[in-house]
Amino acid sequence: MIAVFGLVLGVLAGLWLEPSIPAALQPYLPIAVVAALDAVFGGLRAHLDGIFDDKVFVISFVSNVLIAALIVYLGDQLGVGGQLSTGVIVVLGIRIFSNVAAIRRHVFHA
Amino acid sequence: MSDKPDLSTGEPRSDSSGDAYVGLLTQIMTQTLDQDYLDVAQRRESSSGDSPPRWQVGAVAVLLLFGLMLGLAALNTAQEKPVVAAERAELIEQIESNQGKLDNQQATLASLSDEVTKLQQLLAANVADDRLLTNQLTSLGIDAGTLAVTGPGVEVTVDDSGYSVGESGGVILDSDLQLLVNALWQAGAEAIAVDEHRMTTLTAIRFAGEAITVDYRSLTPPYIIEATGDPDTMPARLLETRAGQAWLDLEANFDIQFEVVAKDKVSIPGDARDNLLYAEAKGAS
Repeated sequence: MIAVFGLVLGVLAGLWLEPSIPAALQPYLPIAVVAALDAVFGGLRAHLDGIFDDKVFVISFVSNVLIAALIVYLGDQLGVGGQLSTGVIVVLGIRIFSNVAAIRRHVFHA
Repeated sequence: MSDKPDLSTGEPRSDSSGDAYVGLLTQIMTQTLDQDYLDVAQRRESSSGDSPPRWQVGAVAVLLLFGLMLGLAALNTAQEKPVVAAERAELIEQIESNQGKLDNQQATLASLSDEVTKLQQLLAANVADDRLLTNQLTSLGIDAGTLAVTGPGVEVTVDDSGYSVGESGGVILDSDLQLLVNALWQAGAEAIAVDEHRMTTLTAIRFAGEAITVDYRSLTPPYIIEATGDPDTMPARLLETRAGQAWLDLEANFDIQFEVVAKDKVSIPGDARDNLLYAEAKGAS
């Protein structure tokens, strides 16, 4: 419950306060969001499986975001930023789909 | 080394954790849950301890951060949309206006190349006219005597006998020269000059005092008459004329020098006077 409250509060704060992100970090925000989404759905699934752990969640979230941004940054420096972004999105998208499918099985038992 | 796949059989290797080796894509699609959750859950079962509360705060903070990122990303995309759309519209507008310009310029190009073609045809026609007129002018100039000419022809040298008439010698008269020049015309001469004076329709050969004048300029014997024409036939034709016969008589009876020589090249000057003094073309102003 507190978690959902924190999420909503964060979204509202982002929309209202409009904090400015450094221009250098701006290209990596979308990919970081997708990576974070993967961590969040993974946590949600673990929660439904009854094996959720705060420490694992925090570490997986932070490492996901940092690694995704780092890969894209590396790709930008090598001139394959677009392609690497696509690769990261594909892998994370597959994981998100699978996790959401598992969550769906938990919720609807189907 | 035992961890490596057996190449000869292609059997999947088994790793230390006991999981069957699977392809990367299969692994991505099947192992979606972080292994750590399971590991931690197993450890917790054995030790039966809850995670410390500071990690719970961390989880909430992370979720807050996630919400913030989500909101910001959505905001960014929404803010960029009108900008992108405006840029796109502007580009389309530019393309259309430039396309219009291009069409205009292509039409101009087509009309200009049509014009060029017409002008080229006109130029060709003018050049042809010009050549024709130049040819006409040249032949007219030769006929009228205004153009200097060179070509094959004959050279006639005549001279007084050197002693007076009474002593059965002779002096060439203006009428004799007139006859000779006319005989040359008759023999087919195209242009004639007497001592470098071009014979034109207005040239007079006169006797003034003791000397023969051509074009009002006095000459002294011997007189050299040059004429362009066929060098093979002209001497014979000249002698066949009545004047030619008369000159042969003069040569025989009065010891006057009369020499006709065919030449490969004679040069005949033009007459500087190239305009008529009195006559005017009918219709010309």
